[in-house]
Amino acid sequence: MTLSHSHSVRSFLGPVRAVIATVIAAASLAPGALAQDATRWGPKESASSFGWRFDDLFMLIVILTGVSFLIMMVMLLVPVFRDKARAGHKASFDHGRSLHDKRFTAIVSVIVFIVLDAWVLVVAMRDLDEGFWNVPGPGEAPNAVRVQVLAQQWAWNFRQPGVDNKFGTPDDILTLNELVVPASAEAEGNEDWFAGRPVVLNLSSKDVIHSLFLPEMRVKRDANPGAINRMWFTPIRPGDYAILCAELCGFAHYQMHGKLRVLSPADFDAWEAEASAMALAAYDENDAGAQWAWDWQE
Amino acid sequence: MLNLLLIPLGAAALLTAALATTDDETAVDVSKRHERPPHDVQLIIHEGTRLLAADADDGHDEEDDYAPALFARLSAEFPNRFTEDDEGIFRDAWPETRDGAIVWDDENECYWEVVTADRLTRGRQDYVQFCASCHALEGDGFGRSGVALRPPPRDFSQGLFKFTKVNSEKLPDDAALLALVKGGLLGTPMNEWDISDERLAEIITYVKSLSLPGDEDADGSTGWRDPYNQIAGVIDASDDPWTDDPGGAIEQGEGLYHKYQCYTCHPAYADAARTDALRGVEGSGTYPDDHTYPKLRKDSSYTVLDYNVAILPPDFTWHDMRRGNTVAEIYQTIAGGVAGAGMPTWKGAAPDEELWAIAYYVYDLAETYKGNDAQRAAFMRSIR
Repeated sequence: MTLSHSHSVRSFLGPVRAVIATVIAAASLAPGALAQDATRWGPKESASSFGWRFDDLFMLIVILTGVSFLIMMVMLLVPVFRDKARAGHKASFDHGRSLHDKRFTAIVSVIVFIVLDAWVLVVAMRDLDEGFWNVPGPGEAPNAVRVQVLAQQWAWNFRQPGVDNKFGTPDDILTLNELVVPASAEAEGNEDWFAGRPVVLNLSSKDVIHSLFLPEMRVKRDANPGAINRMWFTPIRPGDYAILCAELCGFAHYQMHGKLRVLSPADFDAWEAEASAMALAAYDENDAGAQWAWDWQE
Repeated sequence: MLNLLLIPLGAAALLTAALATTDDETAVDVSKRHERPPHDVQLIIHEGTRLLAADADDGHDEEDDYAPALFARLSAEFPNRFTEDDEGIFRDAWPETRDGAIVWDDENECYWEVVTADRLTRGRQDYVQFCASCHALEGDGFGRSGVALRPPPRDFSQGLFKFTKVNSEKLPDDAALLALVKGGLLGTPMNEWDISDERLAEIITYVKSLSLPGDEDADGSTGWRDPYNQIAGVIDASDDPWTDDPGGAIEQGEGLYHKYQCYTCHPAYADAARTDALRGVEGSGTYPDDHTYPKLRKDSSYTVLDYNVAILPPDFTWHDMRRGNTVAEIYQTIAGGVAGAGMPTWKGAAPDEELWAIAYYVYDLAETYKGNDAQRAAFMRSIR
């Protein structure tokens, strides 16, 4: 019984059928991936002002490499079937040593480099320059929501300046594994990069290298001990999103996740006022060991 | 593209700054407990220890000891090898070397659990890997990742644990500690440790061995090496008197919460007039401004930099309860108290039925308002 069963499985997965099955599977997966159905395939929908850059770049790479892959496959398969041995025709073998072949290879390489690598590089650099790297400098985004992030094994400490907007004061809001920020609907598709209230983060770590990953915001940046890294994004839709650690940081790395709560601007102001008041109640000025804020790095 | 050029320049600047600052580094003052460098990670422990064992229910009886049982088993396993005279060998020599043996101490009139060096070494290996980042290699709670954490990570030399659900005047037994480590503490970096029970048991044994040796004159508890301590299990929460009437429990709980003046530390969930009404006093008059806020009024037994940190009593509508997922868990925490913090042991101080009612009320507060910002804001506006 077992034997015949395994035999039938093996015969089904014969080489030809395997190729057909792969093609069918890929064809059935592709529309889902293209449609960005958050519940099934692909990353969850972007919820930040420049998240579309990441998605567009990702799709560009998928299309470019997909088309190149198809062209390559055709170029490989056509000679295999055209030149195979059959009645009255002997299979010919060619190592591609002629000048013609070398020139052809060189031209294909240059085309592949320009179409794939250079194109992707230029788009990626533009996106980084206008998006991820474009952290608001001094005075560029006066409305920015500023957060100091102190990573540790295995949790995220967040410090927000509270209603007085100064770090290291008694009303600083301290949260663990939960970051609350306002949504800025006007930032979506706005020509002003810093429209609304961008969230600007200062990242550091107590112990080892961690990496703050906000998948729906399409941003990720390392938190290094002894250094302060900067990152920014502008959430455009209220909701609960994921906070993850994207750098293997020890045994409980997999448990180092949290919740990014994006509230409407009015809800955020109410939350900030209440959280500041609660922070004042919890503040102990004599407890020197509990203070960890640093000077804000623009 | 300018940013691309700035990276090497920035790196050079950072490197220069780093080189410049290394010279200024001052020597570490090793006399200060929190500034000394960690000890070498010594993974081989040469001596075992004895830890206080949970009291055996049946009382002490030498005839029931392990030795006769072991003699019977080994004699059956290796016939003709032992004689009746050998039984004494087992009784006298063996318990000191067998892991987990419970021995009776005539002098202190307590049971000890024998722990071998082998077991401690295994426990320490896992402790260093999983626990030491916060609790430190020495177990004093000053690990690299524990800096500035409030509440601070446990200093295991104190033998104090906050949320074991055990009567806080006694030490928790192994089962209680295992449940705590496996369940984690919500809202803190103490995770749900997904390690096998066997290894966790070894870690727990090692952690218990970090408590200080017993001393009759020492103030308070010094943990599992002190024969004057007692060990207790998790408080029984199977007898819920309010299963048929949760609504009534919540209503009565609100009255009791304010009657027992839980608002001395926790927030009051009523304005001054209503607090008076719930307490059944008339015009007691004034409550402080932070009546409806949690209050940092009491020092704890948890010391950081020679300072007794204040532990924030939670506002149940705002903060996470460490282990308060069910009414029963909240009841256990109220009944047992929170060791080292301001929360006393309520079991015995108030009838169980009332403690259950308060647990229902607290659970309902968290369920109704926590994470429900608009509703909570409206409620708080009505009482402030």
